[in-house]
Amino acid sequence: MDALVAGAEAFIQVFRTAADVFVGFTTGIIPIVVVFLTAVNALVKFIGEERVENFAKWASQEGWMYVPVRYTLLAFVAVFMLTNPVCYTFGTFLPEKNKPAFYDAAVSFVHPITGIFPHANGGELFVWLGIAAGVEMVAPDMVTALAVRYLLAGLVVILIRGIVTDIIFSIMWKSRQGGAA
Amino acid sequence: MQALIERIGRSVGGVVGTLFQAGRDAVDLCLKTIIPFMAFVTFVIGLILETGVGDLIANGIKGFASSLGGLMIVCVICAIPILSPLLGPGAVIAQIVGVLIGTEIGRGNIDVSMALPALFAINPQVGCDFVPVGLALGEAEPETVEVGVPAVLTSRMITGPISVVVGYLFALGL
Repeated sequence: MDALVAGAEAFIQVFRTAADVFVGFTTGIIPIVVVFLTAVNALVKFIGEERVENFAKWASQEGWMYVPVRYTLLAFVAVFMLTNPVCYTFGTFLPEKNKPAFYDAAVSFVHPITGIFPHANGGELFVWLGIAAGVEMVAPDMVTALAVRYLLAGLVVILIRGIVTDIIFSIMWKSRQGGAA
Repeated sequence: MQALIERIGRSVGGVVGTLFQAGRDAVDLCLKTIIPFMAFVTFVIGLILETGVGDLIANGIKGFASSLGGLMIVCVICAIPILSPLLGPGAVIAQIVGVLIGTEIGRGNIDVSMALPALFAINPQVGCDFVPVGLALGEAEPETVEVGVPAVLTSRMITGPISVVVGYLFALGL
């Protein structure tokens, strides 16, 4: 009988703990995400599609000096303003040969951005939140610093991804044309 | 005068309407996506914290997640071009592993300094399932898609481990 009670106790304890964590998430995360989402959704609508598109056209020009603009700034603006998965439509403005690299850069940014701007990819917050929740337990004052660094490191990573994918794509493209001829 | 009043009324109405719609979208996303995933995630956390599963996982993950080399091995495995499209969808795998590693950081089994490199190590497969669709959204030609898919997948083998190192460097002095 005692064993049964102990078993039941252990069983229900799993859910009690889960519920505590759930309450913590609900009060800690949901309010700020809702308010933030509202503000940014409104901001995006006020700025308007046209202005964003004009910027995209400017940032999509050919030339090596536009490489950092293309794979950091353009990707950032795309993910921030259009959010996942509409952000990839910005590839439309780019030369054909840069589209795969831009996709690679933009898609690699949909998680680093969520640390500070959760609206950009609300459906996949727990890549960041899962780890942030752990950091919160041991070092609560470090979470914001970590979010900022995640964002900055993300920008560096997407620049590298853009450049590397560009190179690999052009090699594969050439060998394919060579094979076909 | 009447025109002025009408214009003010209209623009205020427009602003309020936009804000209200923005709030509706926000709550919608919360109810339909964030809270359901949160329920699932908190259940997993409850299991890890209260049953022996946690210790098993901890031993398994600890070896990989407590050192830069271990994280890079995890990253290379996730970036293998055959595996990466399978691991990608909805970032579900990355989110679960994120929660597992996060929980171990919370229990003190993994050092906090590993959090940032880990964020990149568990995620080299991001979007690998979505390359053709993403390229199509950017109105790419079929030939571009044909070459672009293997180009992105191959690129991840190189940029995955690099991203872990970048994460490690950015975490210095935290």
